[in-house]
Amino acid sequence: MATDRDPIVAAHGVSFRYAGSDANALESVDLAIARGEFLAFVGQNGAGKTTLAKLFNGLLTPTTGDVVVDGSSTHKVGIDFLSKIVGYCYQNPDHQIFSNTVREEVAFGLKHHGVPAAAAAESVTEALRLVGLEHQADRYPFLLGRGERQKLAVASILALGPPVLVIDEPTTGLDLGGTRSIMRLLRQLNESGRTVIIITHDMNVVAEYAPRTVVISKGRVIRDGSTRDVLTNEAALREAFLRPPQITRVALRLHERCGFPAGILTVDEFLTAYRSRAANTTTRAAARPASRGQG
Amino acid sequence: MPVGYSIYQERDSVLHQRIDPRTKFALLVTSFVLALAYNHPAVLGLLTATVIGAAWWSRLDFRRFLPILLAAGWFLVLGILVWPFYIQVGPPLFFIFGSAITITGLLFGLAMGLRVSLMVAAAGVWMMTTSPQKMTLGLVRMGLPQKAGIAMSTAIRLVPLLNAKRATIVEAQRARGLRLDTGNPLARARKSVSVLGPLLLSAIDLAQAIAIAMDARGFGARAERTSLVQIELTRLDRIILAACGMAIVASVVLRLLGIGVIVQGYL
Repeated sequence: MATDRDPIVAAHGVSFRYAGSDANALESVDLAIARGEFLAFVGQNGAGKTTLAKLFNGLLTPTTGDVVVDGSSTHKVGIDFLSKIVGYCYQNPDHQIFSNTVREEVAFGLKHHGVPAAAAAESVTEALRLVGLEHQADRYPFLLGRGERQKLAVASILALGPPVLVIDEPTTGLDLGGTRSIMRLLRQLNESGRTVIIITHDMNVVAEYAPRTVVISKGRVIRDGSTRDVLTNEAALREAFLRPPQITRVALRLHERCGFPAGILTVDEFLTAYRSRAANTTTRAAARPASRGQG
Repeated sequence: MPVGYSIYQERDSVLHQRIDPRTKFALLVTSFVLALAYNHPAVLGLLTATVIGAAWWSRLDFRRFLPILLAAGWFLVLGILVWPFYIQVGPPLFFIFGSAITITGLLFGLAMGLRVSLMVAAAGVWMMTTSPQKMTLGLVRMGLPQKAGIAMSTAIRLVPLLNAKRATIVEAQRARGLRLDTGNPLARARKSVSVLGPLLLSAIDLAQAIAIAMDARGFGARAERTSLVQIELTRLDRIILAACGMAIVASVVLRLLGIGVIVQGYL
């Protein structure tokens, strides 16, 4: 999708092949992500979503092509530099948690970046406040629930102050409450100016929170646009073995049969469209006998 | 045959398919005994070359065998660097920090490196040519308790899986600014806690999940259990076992006679 705003992350003709593999995991990917965007990468397992995201913070470098982050090619700058711009949060928070307290866990990255103690403490407090874990600062991290550990993982990335956040599968293993809580947090972070990229299989989450969606299939970006356009194009999604959210499909079927609005992404939108339609029908019905009487 | 995450490589070779796992275990034990019986680099070099030759003959993928060879090579280098400071037999070749380095000391260091390399390579060939199922069955038939056999084969199977987890954890910590390759040894050791901590917890988690899954499928319900995989000692196995026995006896005799030994008084 073309973006008018200044891109903070851009991939130019990027292909990537893992060592020892016979095939490219990514093939000729072009993508521009503007500052302050909230977008979702969707696609099957093995489609290349995580590989693409790992190219953004220098965990991987392109085999061919170039990834430019905040004006610097990832071929030229290392992960030390990139980790301060692109924060990458893994799917399983337990892959990174090891400290004795929540506070120490969040301070880990700051220590490695040589941040002085006073400034680090301030950043830790702020990161914990942002994710709503300030009251848990002195607890043992593994005693937190899964949703809270996910927030802790986000906080430990946030403490470094990166303007871009990549969150791999933010809602996996979470119940509805946990899902809403973490997604609201990501929305708040986005609204405060950060660029948020989520990698997910949850199409309801995409529909509700991400204004832009990138569909990846077999290492290629096959759709990139507004979430409304992408998720209401069933044929295109089918190509990547994906389906729109159920409420979107209901609306599409009703659209085919009776002209119901087609671009519905959420239950709330569906209800609004339904009520509007019902009100119009009532108004027309009320108007009809009156006009007949006049005649 | 399901292989899972084991380092075993399925091949149509004699070592893979025609030799009983018990015989292969006897070959491994023999290689260890021979490695300890001799301390002459020529003998140990020949034995190491034989093991690497066996890997080549078994058509193992050398890209996957290479890490084992590199580990063996590291022990080789370590032996050459360390032992000459302790073995000061013969005329000095040169001095380092006031210690006389002799040609015998260097050769003994080479031998000690080769000894560990031989053991590492032999264990690698054993694991890469013996499927976990046959390995367990072989050890159980040799008298190892069933549960211990399963525990052992499971542990071997988990090594590559845990290695993959380690790689993920290292990536996650690198994304937070961790540089494992910088700093002095003490700083590096301290940094490695951030990888070892989550790895240990993952390993415990994984082991617990496997234990529950096995219990749920009736593990331990009977003292004896049947096996899908069948093993049998053939004539070829008996010949190899006899050869192993003779090689062990011969090595002990030769050691007592001082043959294949470069420095007396050291193992």
